[in-house]
Amino acid sequence: MKNKRSLFAVPYVIWMAIFVVIPIIIVLIYSLTVPVETADGEVLQGSLENFTGMALYAGVFGRSFWLAFIATVICLFIGYPVAYLMSREGPGFQRVAMALIMLPMWMNFLLRTYSWMAILENNGLLNQLFAKLGIISLYNRLTGSDIDHFQMIRTSGAVVLGMVYNYLPFMILPIYTVLVKLDNRLIEAAADLGANSATVFRRVTLPLSLSGIVSGVTMVFVPSVSTFAISRLLGGGKQTMLGDLIENQFLGGAYNPHLGAAISMVMMVIVLICMVVMNHFGDGGEEAMML
Amino acid sequence: MKKNGFGGRSLIGLCFLFLYLPIFLLIFFSFNAGESSAVWQGFSLHWYGELFHNRLVIESLATTLLVSLLSTAIATVAGTFAAIGIYSLTKKWRDPILVVNDIPMMNADIVTGISLCLFFVAFFHGWGGIARWLNSWQSLIKFPTRMTLGLTTLIIAHVSFNIPYVILNVAPRLRQMDKNLVDAAQDLGCTWMQAFFKVILPEIKPGIVSGALIAFTMSVDDFVISYFTAGSATQTLPMTIYGMTKKRVTPVVNAVSTLMFLAVLIVLIINNIRSAKQARLNARRASFEPVRENPRVERFKAWLTTPRGKLARRLTAAVTCVIFIGTVGFLTAFTQSRPVVNVCSWGEYIDEDLIDEFEAETGIRVNYQTTDSNETLYSLLKSGGADYDVVVPSDYMISQLIEEGMLEELDYSQIPNFEKIDPRFRNLPYDPENKYTVPYTWGTVGIIYNSTMVDGDITSWSSLYDDSNAGQVLLINNSRDAFGIALKYLGYSVNTTDEDEIRAAYELVADANDRGVFQGKVMDEVFQAMEGGNAAIATYYAGDYLSMLENNEDLKFVVPEEGSNWFVDAMCVLKDAPNFDNAMKWINFIASTDSNLRNMDYIWYASPNTEALEQYPAWYEEQYGEELDPEIYEIMAAPQEVLDRCEMYIVLPRPTRAFYNNLWIQLGI
Repeated sequence: MKNKRSLFAVPYVIWMAIFVVIPIIIVLIYSLTVPVETADGEVLQGSLENFTGMALYAGVFGRSFWLAFIATVICLFIGYPVAYLMSREGPGFQRVAMALIMLPMWMNFLLRTYSWMAILENNGLLNQLFAKLGIISLYNRLTGSDIDHFQMIRTSGAVVLGMVYNYLPFMILPIYTVLVKLDNRLIEAAADLGANSATVFRRVTLPLSLSGIVSGVTMVFVPSVSTFAISRLLGGGKQTMLGDLIENQFLGGAYNPHLGAAISMVMMVIVLICMVVMNHFGDGGEEAMML
Repeated sequence: MKKNGFGGRSLIGLCFLFLYLPIFLLIFFSFNAGESSAVWQGFSLHWYGELFHNRLVIESLATTLLVSLLSTAIATVAGTFAAIGIYSLTKKWRDPILVVNDIPMMNADIVTGISLCLFFVAFFHGWGGIARWLNSWQSLIKFPTRMTLGLTTLIIAHVSFNIPYVILNVAPRLRQMDKNLVDAAQDLGCTWMQAFFKVILPEIKPGIVSGALIAFTMSVDDFVISYFTAGSATQTLPMTIYGMTKKRVTPVVNAVSTLMFLAVLIVLIINNIRSAKQARLNARRASFEPVRENPRVERFKAWLTTPRGKLARRLTAAVTCVIFIGTVGFLTAFTQSRPVVNVCSWGEYIDEDLIDEFEAETGIRVNYQTTDSNETLYSLLKSGGADYDVVVPSDYMISQLIEEGMLEELDYSQIPNFEKIDPRFRNLPYDPENKYTVPYTWGTVGIIYNSTMVDGDITSWSSLYDDSNAGQVLLINNSRDAFGIALKYLGYSVNTTDEDEIRAAYELVADANDRGVFQGKVMDEVFQAMEGGNAAIATYYAGDYLSMLENNEDLKFVVPEEGSNWFVDAMCVLKDAPNFDNAMKWINFIASTDSNLRNMDYIWYASPNTEALEQYPAWYEEQYGEELDPEIYEIMAAPQEVLDRCEMYIVLPRPTRAFYNNLWIQLGI
């Protein structure tokens, strides 16, 4: 009987081979070739040029990883306490809170990011508020400067804010899922054995929620490092990130899919490393992505 | 367990405030009487009414719903069976499959997007050869030799990234299920199908439902993967929004999103109330308190087991199916009906009523899409993702497309209105014999500045590079224009191929960049920045300046004394365009004097049509009952002495283009 049921897996395995594995192989082929013009048109030629030429973009790599790292750390420091506090509430509260975290996904993320533009602009809502409250004139008096606004948009800070805003739920959800399943008796036992609350947290709660943290970190870091819409909207074209670079090679002005494929390959390797790390900490990732 | 105190709760509250602040703003401004997303101009439901007339938004919403519904349905069924299959495999086989299953979920969206895009394009390439071979070999079935990205590829991509979510939600339910249940059912005489419907399905139903919900949510919200796999002729709502965020997001989008948001909110509230009730019931059951079922519910449940009840259940299921198929059918018909001419132009570059009129007049459906720069258009065409008939590139890009054999010669006998094009705009260097193009608009590039933020009048490009306006200048975000302007300022030709001259231009821009003169690099984003007074100086097109002027009266425009670039955007037809004759009709319609007048009025770009250009001031007076400011007319249609100062771009040789690109990258990092 068992064998008959396992036949159900066959179509999906074929599907994955066609639409997951082969496309990645094609990306690999693209990354290892360059078009060369010959008498009878363009032909592809094997070359490592795409990878060696990437040194030009070291700055972009550096910036992407740095900004994504900062965003991930901030998400962790906001997300963990919120997930922790949520997991200690009553079931009704938890249900509502979960729904409230999922709900923003129904408003397109580009639109929400665009809304941040209106908030952060030089003449935007936040600067207007600061001016009304006298914060800007106070700042001018304290530092002896003469500004009429704070430059918030088109800075790397704005890009990080955009990442934190968009991906915070992906940090909260997996941590919360793990924490809510945590056996409360373990905590009680630790307390009975004389651990104070800080020790309980450090020695019991934190280690047990590690799988949630790991998957949360991956789920924030990967989209952050590869974003292109957020950096374009909030970074004002000055904060080029890996995603912008790749997009620019495929649908932008630079048009060089081979280079774009090579950059994607590098990014994919990073993802692989993340997956290995995740598997190392157990399969918390799977549960993390469920309601 | 200790409950959270006030401090804890307020932290959660703060977090939600952070998450919801922009959303409240969006909803708030969907009721704005004005067009701004930052200045409140009074309450109005105007944008909700407008919603039904905005074809771009409505069509892309329909596409989004169609794609999400179909891909969720397919992914849910396929994912459920796949999960059952995978979980009856031995561990040796199961684990590697699960790892591959994780790939689309863990991979960056952009990598998934481009890998699928490259795959589809490679497949289409291969398919062309196979189809030709098949067609030559037999004549029974004619296989299409040309395929492009579109709705099908979009749905495949969505199914692809949705299935893993379904599997991940169904799998734990399968794991929890007692394996012997199915065997027991079968021992008791169930067939396999019965065992599946009566035993497995009820057990894993919650997993299927939540998997489907997540898949649907992901599908609706997805932008990146759609962006790379939808090609040119199909646009989802997030893609439309992305296009708009560059220029101006019309509050119509706010209105659509508010409605979607409210719909989901209501569903969630109902769901919440239900599950709260269920939880209370379960709690009471667990504590062995007598549970009083609602007698009506009891009776209903009993009725469901009678033959009539069973019939009713089947009927309900059938009706649900019919509704689903009907919705999908309707959406397909709505988005796919007779797409007979595919046009690609720039954002907000046409009076949209003209499209409706053309459709009413000829019965041809216009699929109108936009991109934001010549380079993007070129990439789209090159990558094989585009299936346009008519495109409207600028001069230098036209000659590049001609050079690469990507354009089709036009049939001017079908375009009588070409006669009305001013001789000044015919036989230009990009198309010397005028075989490929019908001009659409023309204009100049100049400095747009905010007179309240800049001292005195600007007359020279030097204001872009000196420190007097540091931090207030917006650099144009493409290498050709940014370096072209610098070349002009240094007294060189914009078409120079001398690397030293180009390098000098680069040094000028790079030096200013290092000194922090530029606030940002923008294309269409310039609208928001300049209209809102967020920057003092920018370089852009004369026509767009006039649009901005409507929203901010402090703005001024000048074509600097050193000279500038003047351009022509012209309509061309792509090689092997599937709808050539319809394309001719469209071009002829747009080239007419009436269309040109209305376009001129709507987009503020000058027309190449002699009659329209002459008649416009009079037409304006007739329409609005006031005289057209001659200064505005002069900015729109620059007089000859200004044009004499300006140069038109011609296509640069390949090595020079590569040189531009390299310098531009160095500037960007």
